[in-house]
Amino acid sequence: MILSTRPVAKRPTPPPADEPPKPTPPTPTAPSQPNSVTLGPRDRVIGQVYIEGDLRVAGVVEGEVEVTGDVEIDEMAKVKASLSGQDVNIRGHVNGSVVARKRLIVGRSGSLIGDVRVARLVIQDGARFSGKVAMGAAALEAPAKAAEAPAQAQPAVVVLPEEPPELPAPVEAAILPQVSADGKDGKDGKDGKAKGKVPPPKGKAKAR
Amino acid sequence: METQEAVAESAPMENHNQSDAKRDGQKKFTLGPNDSLEGKLTYDGHMTVDGGRAEGEFRIGGNIEIGNGTVVKALLEGSNVTIKGEVEGRTTARDKLTLGKSAKLSGDVQVRRLQIEDGATLNGYVRMGDFEHQAGS
Repeated sequence: MILSTRPVAKRPTPPPADEPPKPTPPTPTAPSQPNSVTLGPRDRVIGQVYIEGDLRVAGVVEGEVEVTGDVEIDEMAKVKASLSGQDVNIRGHVNGSVVARKRLIVGRSGSLIGDVRVARLVIQDGARFSGKVAMGAAALEAPAKAAEAPAQAQPAVVVLPEEPPELPAPVEAAILPQVSADGKDGKDGKDGKAKGKVPPPKGKAKAR
Repeated sequence: METQEAVAESAPMENHNQSDAKRDGQKKFTLGPNDSLEGKLTYDGHMTVDGGRAEGEFRIGGNIEIGNGTVVKALLEGSNVTIKGEVEGRTTARDKLTLGKSAKLSGDVQVRRLQIEDGATLNGYVRMGDFEHQAGS
């Protein structure tokens, strides 16, 4: 049944195969070519995700997602995560806070439960939404930094890059407590190795 | 603009010729640019504020429409609430709340359905769902 709506989806992909195309290693310079990540309907990501470029989700995502480009949540997607991106377009289910540096759109099939900080907001008739709305440049400025800070503190980690397929289980286990603690606990334990690996993403996020 | 002018209570309709016009069987009154309403209003028709000044607490059985360029500081409650102007205060729509392009709403919102057009500004908590609790404050 899932077959019907899968635009870019890859059928025979094991989840990890999604990630390789976008190695986001220590290049704090502007990404030269636009990067786009798609998580198909059967893909699942649990943990912290940082993507330089766009993200499209049709599957399950839990944790924390930071995207320098646009985020698109497809109809069948189930997201339990904080999202941040430029344009955020929600047509599926999202439970978590959302930061849209440009515009958040909750489509008529979308449902969003969580607080929202946006520059602009569109909610289509039929969409479900509950949460606090803070809107405008001012709303984004100050708190956005606060929110970004913890994300930078332990940026790397995560399910992303070229982890061999045997890893997923341990990775998940390692990451979960950190996510639930919203970064505070995880910081101490993880930071050491995380920091060396990936530089703070902030510069580019701004530049774009 | 024209400050502390009228204190209208519940029946500001006599001032307006448009008022009490029967539209699909429901009463309706319009607050024009030179009108002002301050206080508590409970009314079972439709209410339109188009220009003018309105402050207080309006519980409307029908629909509420806040026109472009209007500034309202009030608790609003109505079936369908359409805002194109500026509203400060809690807003309850028993059915649907629509924020037009030019709308500015600051205050908490309880609605069954919600539509926000691009360009509108909203600051506050949004609660959506059928109404378990309402009224009260």
